[in-house]
Amino acid sequence: MRHLSLAAPLIVSAPLLLSALLLLAACEPAPPRSEPVTLVFKHARILGPSDPLPGLVREFEARHPGVRVKSESLPWNTDEQHQFYVINLEGGSPAFDVMMLDVIWVPEFAQARWLLDLTELLPRAELAAHFPAAVEPATWGGRVWAMPWIMNVGLLYYRADLLARYGLRPPETYEALVAQVKRIQAAEGDARLDGFLWQGKQYEGLIVNLLEGLWANGTRLLGEDGRLFPDPARAEEVLGFLRRLIDTGVSPPWVTAADEELSRRAFGDGRAIFLRNWPYAMDLFELPESRVRGKVGIAPLPRHAHGARGSGATGGAHLGVDRRTRHPEAAVALVRFLAGAAAQKTMAAGVALNPTRTALYRDADLVRSHPSLPLIGALTAAARPRPVTPYYLMLSSTLQPEVSAVLVKVKTPAEAIAQARRTVGYMLRDVR
Amino acid sequence: MTPRRRADRRAGLLFLTPALLALALLTVYPSVWVLWLSLERRIPVFGVARFVGFSNYEFLAGDPRLWNAARVTLAFTGASVALELLLGVLVALALSEQRRGRRTALALLLLAWALPSVVTAKLFEWLYHPSAGLVNFLLGERSLNWLGDPHLALPGLILADVWRTTPFVALLCYARLLTIPAALYEAAQVDGAGRLAMLGRITFPLLRRVLLIALLFRTLDALRAFDLMFVLTGGGPASTTETLTVYAYRSLFQTLQLGFGSAIGVIVFALVMATAWIYLRVLRREGMAA
Repeated sequence: MRHLSLAAPLIVSAPLLLSALLLLAACEPAPPRSEPVTLVFKHARILGPSDPLPGLVREFEARHPGVRVKSESLPWNTDEQHQFYVINLEGGSPAFDVMMLDVIWVPEFAQARWLLDLTELLPRAELAAHFPAAVEPATWGGRVWAMPWIMNVGLLYYRADLLARYGLRPPETYEALVAQVKRIQAAEGDARLDGFLWQGKQYEGLIVNLLEGLWANGTRLLGEDGRLFPDPARAEEVLGFLRRLIDTGVSPPWVTAADEELSRRAFGDGRAIFLRNWPYAMDLFELPESRVRGKVGIAPLPRHAHGARGSGATGGAHLGVDRRTRHPEAAVALVRFLAGAAAQKTMAAGVALNPTRTALYRDADLVRSHPSLPLIGALTAAARPRPVTPYYLMLSSTLQPEVSAVLVKVKTPAEAIAQARRTVGYMLRDVR
Repeated sequence: MTPRRRADRRAGLLFLTPALLALALLTVYPSVWVLWLSLERRIPVFGVARFVGFSNYEFLAGDPRLWNAARVTLAFTGASVALELLLGVLVALALSEQRRGRRTALALLLLAWALPSVVTAKLFEWLYHPSAGLVNFLLGERSLNWLGDPHLALPGLILADVWRTTPFVALLCYARLLTIPAALYEAAQVDGAGRLAMLGRITFPLLRRVLLIALLFRTLDALRAFDLMFVLTGGGPASTTETLTVYAYRSLFQTLQLGFGSAIGVIVFALVMATAWIYLRVLRREGMAA
């Protein structure tokens, strides 16, 4: 039996070795010239009653004979999508050609040289049709790295019926907002009616709310010289204001755990007067079964004492091309088709994904089915992108616990700002 | 050693080779790689990759966020494992005494354990919902801000973890209880032992080993806790639920600081290894591990 003892490990490891060799062989690029071009398009699942993407992809294929598009969906949340891209783009062979990107990733991916430079591949006028706040994050280092595709913007929702009952107009300042909340709450006498809902959970949405606060107070997160909190006094005011909203009962204590959905549902149940959220909420408020149907208005975000006006932060998705794609022309054609006016209109009509093209906000068909579109368009035109920098995620991730600590009174605004500056200083020591 | 035994030994080693190779490939290689990364400042996005020695560890030694994460991890582990063991034993005892519907009870228990932790997290998100949640409904007028209060968020997560993993402990213990011969209890009864005496003198001593195993598994799992906090609180508020693995994940995959994140990973690794080592020593004293 002894002779077997030698052979057995070999027998066991042979299939392993074989499969390893096969894997290696599979990685070898072997571009067949005659076969049709296949593009892999990575995108998040479009939720809703009807996904317009398969139809759009078929239309593209019909217009480009010889090009096939394989749609592959990404994980369900943005953190996992980011992780997926990083792992696949940093090492390994290109597994996809066209990718849907969160706007805040574009400068990072461009800096990492993962994206194809689209500057020369797009006609000059092509980007001019999109909102500046969508084009800005697609541009880094003077080059264009992605096409704007889906638009998002921070808005103030208000209960039009309640405001009308007391002869009030949507507030232009946060001071007025607080006064209106107090007045309406006192007069309604409903302990279950909250004042102002926003997103205070320790996550990216909290930083969006912070940014909007900073802009509303005439300051910003990153100064011209790249310094964090260039005007700490005004930043402290904003942080202090957010905390006071909770202290004084204008916002319920649970906003410190609220994300978009939690706050949207409470407002949709008719249990709040004001809400900061994205445009998608309006479509849900207007559903036939909604309790606040026909009672909700949209207004620009208010401003603070030192600000000229409030601006919503923008979000949304861009389309980029993997730098190592073997079919750059076809990939760029797909990007241009999907970001084109016809495709964006289809998406806006189907699942209410707002377009990045300004003209569509005046499109008669779209306005008929989505009456709030022109107003949202006007507010998007005045909106601002989050800081356009490759280290935005680093900044945000460092700031999230600090801002959260202020909201739950673990730190004072000054302490949080000082700690954030220290940590960011260490993180960015080498990169700028 | 006889030639025969030596040959056996050699054959044994040869048989082990594929397994050892696979193990080396799958665990040792990545571990060494992470260890190496932790000594680097590596941020691929910016093309930064240089050796910095222990600089990452030096920063972490004075990093309040790391110390906070360590505290959170230990508090979570201590509280959740203690509660799970206590409740697990109680549930197992109740099960073994139960006369009817044992299968149903077992199936229900398994359900909680079989749910993916992300699903559990979503479930508790609704249970803890500030206005519509069942937990606050049961509490009546006093609506608690479970996930948004720095004092309640961690207990809330511990509760969710206890709900999810108590069945694991209960089933292990229950299986052990089934193997205790009834004759032991009969003999004790003949000797005039009461129920409490039987519990203390027969049941608990015989459960001891299986409890140690459960303790080992649960502790090592809890030290690496990630899903619940990641989904429910994102580590907040004020990082009161940010465990070491959540901090490592954020540094590695969200901010792409591979060197810095790896250093946190190495710290988690060291913590888990140290705990495993202590447990294994205890188990060896019990004569349960080679």
